[in-house]
Order: sequence, then C-alpha cells, then structure tokens
Amino acid sequence: MLVADDCKKLKNLTLPTPPSGYIMMATMGNSSEKIKLEEIFVKYKSIVSFRVKKSLGAFNPDSDDVANEIITNVVEKIKKGEFRGESSIGTFIYTITSRRIVDYIRQKSKVLKHVPEPSSYPDPQEQIEDQERAEMIAIAIKKLKPKYREVLYLYYYKDLSREEVAEKLGISPRRVSERVNYSQKLLKKLIKT
Amino acid sequence: MRNCKFEEIIDKYLFSRLTEDEKNTFEEHYFNCPSCFEKMVERDELVAAIKYKGQEIFKDEYVAEAAKGETWWEKVTSFLTPRQWTTVAVSAALIAVITFGVLPMLKPTSPQFYINDEAVRGSKITLISPVWESETVPSKFEWKKMGEDVDYKIYIYDNGNVVWDDTTKENFILLPEKIKKTFLSGEKYSWQVKAFSPEGSLISVSSRVQFKIHNPE
Repeated sequence: MLVADDCKKLKNLTLPTPPSGYIMMATMGNSSEKIKLEEIFVKYKSIVSFRVKKSLGAFNPDSDDVANEIITNVVEKIKKGEFRGESSIGTFIYTITSRRIVDYIRQKSKVLKHVPEPSSYPDPQEQIEDQERAEMIAIAIKKLKPKYREVLYLYYYKDLSREEVAEKLGISPRRVSERVNYSQKLLKKLIKT
Repeated sequence: MRNCKFEEIIDKYLFSRLTEDEKNTFEEHYFNCPSCFEKMVERDELVAAIKYKGQEIFKDEYVAEAAKGETWWEKVTSFLTPRQWTTVAVSAALIAVITFGVLPMLKPTSPQFYINDEAVRGSKITLISPVWESETVPSKFEWKKMGEDVDYKIYIYDNGNVVWDDTTKENFILLPEKIKKTFLSGEKYSWQVKAFSPEGSLISVSSRVQFKIHNPE
C-alpha cells in the first residue's frame, strides 16, 4: 500500500511513473513471475534511499538524485529482461545500489582532486519533517518509565556499549537489549495514540 | 511474531560497528527482509531523536547523574580528553627517559668498586707521606685532600693487623706519642686512608703503602 509520504517522494522521481496496474513479465529460468513495477517503487525506493544516505551521508545533496537514478536503472534493467531470477529481486536491487554508490564515491574522489567539495546542507523541508518527528519521539520517551528511559539514555545518548550499560545498571546485557526493544514497542504505541 | 536473527545487529549497523563483510551481509539482508528494514528505520528515527533532543529528554537523568557525583578518578580523567592524556603520557615518558636514561650517561660518574665487600664510590686517595723508608717513626701522616666535610679514617697495619686507627676531618693526622713508642726498628708497617661522606658511606680508599723504620726513637 502506498503511504502519503511515499507518494510525495514518488512525485519527485525524474523517470516517468509507470501507469497504475502496469505488470512486467520477467523470465526467471524456466518459470515466469509477475513483477509489479509499482511495488518496486513503493517497496524499494525507501530501502535504496536509506542505503544511499547511510553511505553518502544524510545531508549529502546528491543522495536523492543517486537514489532516484538507481530506481530508474533497476526498472530499465527489469524491462530489458536483465533480471533473470538467479537471485531474489532484493539482492538484484542491492547489487545495483552498491555498484552505483561505489561509482559515485569514485567519481567524487576524482573531482575532489581539482575542485573543493560543495558544502553539504540538509533539505529544509526534510529537516522540518525530521524535527517534527523527533519532537514526537521526544515527547513519547518522556512518558516512559525511568527504567526504560535510563537504558535509552545510556545506550543511545551516552553511546555506552550493551555490556557497559548492563554493568552500570546491574543487569545482564541480554536484559539491556530486551529493555531497548520493549522501549521501542512502547514508543510505537505512544506515537500512534 | 518470530524475530529475525539479524535484528540483533541493527544497532551495530546504525553505529557503524560492523566489519565490512558483516555490513555487506546485513545490507543485502535488509533489501530482502521488510521486517528488519522497518525495525531499522524505526530505530534510526529513535536514535536521531535522542541525539537531537537528548539534552531536553533526559533532563532528569542528567540531574540524577550529577547528584551521584563523579568519582575522583572520573574528575581527573575528564579533565583532559583521551588524546590529550596520550600526549601527556608520551611527554612524561620522554622526560623520564631523558632524565634517567640519557643524562646520567652524559654526566661523568664516580667509579664504583669493591674492597673487602665494601662498596666504594669515588676515586682513590693519594697518600703523600710516609711512602717508603723512614729514619724515625713518622709523627705526621698526610694525604691529598678530597673535598670539604669528608671524614678520613687512617689505619696502620703490622703484618696485616691493625695496630692503630683514628678519624679526622683534616688531610693529615699526628701519631700519638704512646703509639710511636710501640713501633720497632727494622719492622715494615703499612698505612691506608679511607674517606667517608657525612652520611657515613665509604666514598674513597687509598692504596695500602708500606714504610720501614730504621731507627725508632
């Protein structure tokens, strides 16, 4: 299902959006499988973006362009029948993504030898959305019981390892992970309500 | 819902604590596992919010931590950054090596030697007189002065046995009359001087010099 945020991001794509219900037939060995390009957009756009931002930096102005380029490339390859089902579609897209990231970094390194890198800046719109989201999470964390807050405080804010947190609180490292995971579930509930 | 085994390493991935191989494996995995990807995005948002708003969110924890107070060791270690501490340690090690290793090698040191199990530092004392034969029993025994505030102990031997000894701060000593009378004509005697620091440690020893008396008084 497309969520509002995904739709907004899809509009920004430079490639022509495939018509609704467009079904691509791809041959995969002896069998055939229907691959909905729409699904690829929705499912993998965010994964590709995440991977690109993790590698190039969250505030790299080129991140969105690189991610869009990768999705376009994926669609073109599928259309050309280059995806033959030798691996999962996820692995196929992962490979294309990794190659493009390596190319980008290589190009950037060459360019940097001659011209200074443009200063990175966050997308103001995205920054506001991030800030609002952070605000919501912050309010939810404040509502947590102290035993969950202190784990989040030590583990994520003070950057202590799981073992260090365990030692500081006198609990086992496994218990630390459980508390972090449970905090996450509680936060999800609190943010939804 | 059954948890995916990769969920355990989401935090390590977000904090870039995975090896290159582990990172690649996990990245390929979340391209194929919507559950892990969803959890990772949620976790990433949580971490970002904590990093961005942490000071405000954890006001109570700050107060509690401040109330606990830092130990003296935390206070000392937090005084400088780890990098600065490293610089301090390296500098201190260099100074120690120069002070205790290099400088003593440059400074001329007194020789150390052992005489009759006694550790001796410093040069030998030069004896002036008597040094060979004497017509009469010598009244004055003299040696080269070694410095200020040195205690000298003189020994006179007859066949290796001490027949007389005394202590002085001067570089000579006069032999008492009653001792002079005990010396025999034609007999060989020897004498020696040892120098001691004010703390009592032996700093120098002369060689043992023989003298012969031809005509005692």
